[in-house]
Amino acid sequence: MKYLFLAISSILMIAAQMVAGSNFFLFNFLDFSLLLIAYWALYRNRIQALFVGSLTGVLLDAVIGWPLGYNGFGKTLAAYVIGQTAKHFNVEEGWIRFVLLAGSSCVSSFSIFLLFALLQRGASPVFLGASLAQALITGLVGVLLFAAHDSYQHAHSGKAS
Amino acid sequence: MSLEVARRPREARATLVVLPLLVLHLILISIQIEDPGGTTLFRKGVLIAVTPFLNGSAAVVRGAAHLWRNYLWLVGARAENELLNETVRRLKLRDQSLRQMQDENERLRRLLSFREQSGLRTIGARVVGRVPNFLSNVMYIDRGLADGVAVDMPVLSGEGVVGRTVVVSPHQSQVQLITNSDASLGVMLAVSHSPGVLSGTGGIELRLDYINNTEKVAAGDVVVTSGLDSVFPKGIPVGQVVKSQKGKTVFRDIQVRPFAGMLRSEEVLVVLGGTMSPGEGGPQGP
Repeated sequence: MKYLFLAISSILMIAAQMVAGSNFFLFNFLDFSLLLIAYWALYRNRIQALFVGSLTGVLLDAVIGWPLGYNGFGKTLAAYVIGQTAKHFNVEEGWIRFVLLAGSSCVSSFSIFLLFALLQRGASPVFLGASLAQALITGLVGVLLFAAHDSYQHAHSGKAS
Repeated sequence: MSLEVARRPREARATLVVLPLLVLHLILISIQIEDPGGTTLFRKGVLIAVTPFLNGSAAVVRGAAHLWRNYLWLVGARAENELLNETVRRLKLRDQSLRQMQDENERLRRLLSFREQSGLRTIGARVVGRVPNFLSNVMYIDRGLADGVAVDMPVLSGEGVVGRTVVVSPHQSQVQLITNSDASLGVMLAVSHSPGVLSGTGGIELRLDYINNTEKVAAGDVVVTSGLDSVFPKGIPVGQVVKSQKGKTVFRDIQVRPFAGMLRSEEVLVVLGGTMSPGEGGPQGP
């Protein structure tokens, strides 16, 4: 049941990404799937975050027409990086979260770029530039979203107590 | 602290999970990507990964086959080898037997030819025994009184004189060979017709006596029976001079080697006396 929820949430996130990206150009620079992965890795379960990363990545590949696996590889790696970083660092701080999100986004993009190069597909340097922009925007939006989430949680827990 | 300890198994599991997932994605990618040759990277990767195992298994199979061919199979090969050796032995025996039959055939042919040429009344006999001595000087044949054989009958082979019967039983006879030291027969030189007496010495060669020093006798001269001893008919080849020199007396010292192989003769003719009538010309084998 839990994994069904993971799957549905992943599908919904990719659908949201596509809808938003096709209607608002700037949303193409916001990695919805990475935000979902980060949420799962920071607030829920790191192993489940790995599966979310794999699934969203493969779905993204399917949607954008790439051979399946590129984004799956990158997002899984990003989920692992976020999970391992959260284990060693205090990720409560906003700037750390930003670095973590932007960095994991860069890791994901760079790994994809590397796979492109290694597996005999042409990769334009534009991809790296766009990926950097995407990392910054995703990091920034992620920090804001998670801060809002934390505030909500605090408020909710305060009400409960 | 307790939180960290509690987290450790989960952390380890995360690492264990991420690696298969990453590999899975790589496999997924490689299934779809094709190289310029049209082969997917997955296939190529599988081939690269599997090749060492294939090579290894092929080496194992080759080794096993080698082991089988060169060791285990040899169990069967050994049995086959023994069988073949047995066959070879049997064939060798058969070959030897055939050769002996061929030799016998040849000897009998010569004997028959000699019998026909001489015109003498003879009976064929088979040598059934020899005194077990290298220089044996008697032998036994399978003809005796019942076959018309009597004492002092000449015994011939296809080559020439062999000896004479000295003891005769109903079905067997003892033959004194001309090499016997007690044997002697009247002979003459085939060319000069000079008569002499040929005596056995107990050895391979014979001694020819009573040939004058004035006679020209050379090695190679043929000696034949003279018929003067009343036992051997005249003109039967006996041997060949191998050594001739002037003697200290008036006679030459002459050594003769008999034509008949005393130790080899297996079939002989016994001269019954007289000459063959026209109806007796057919073969009368031993």
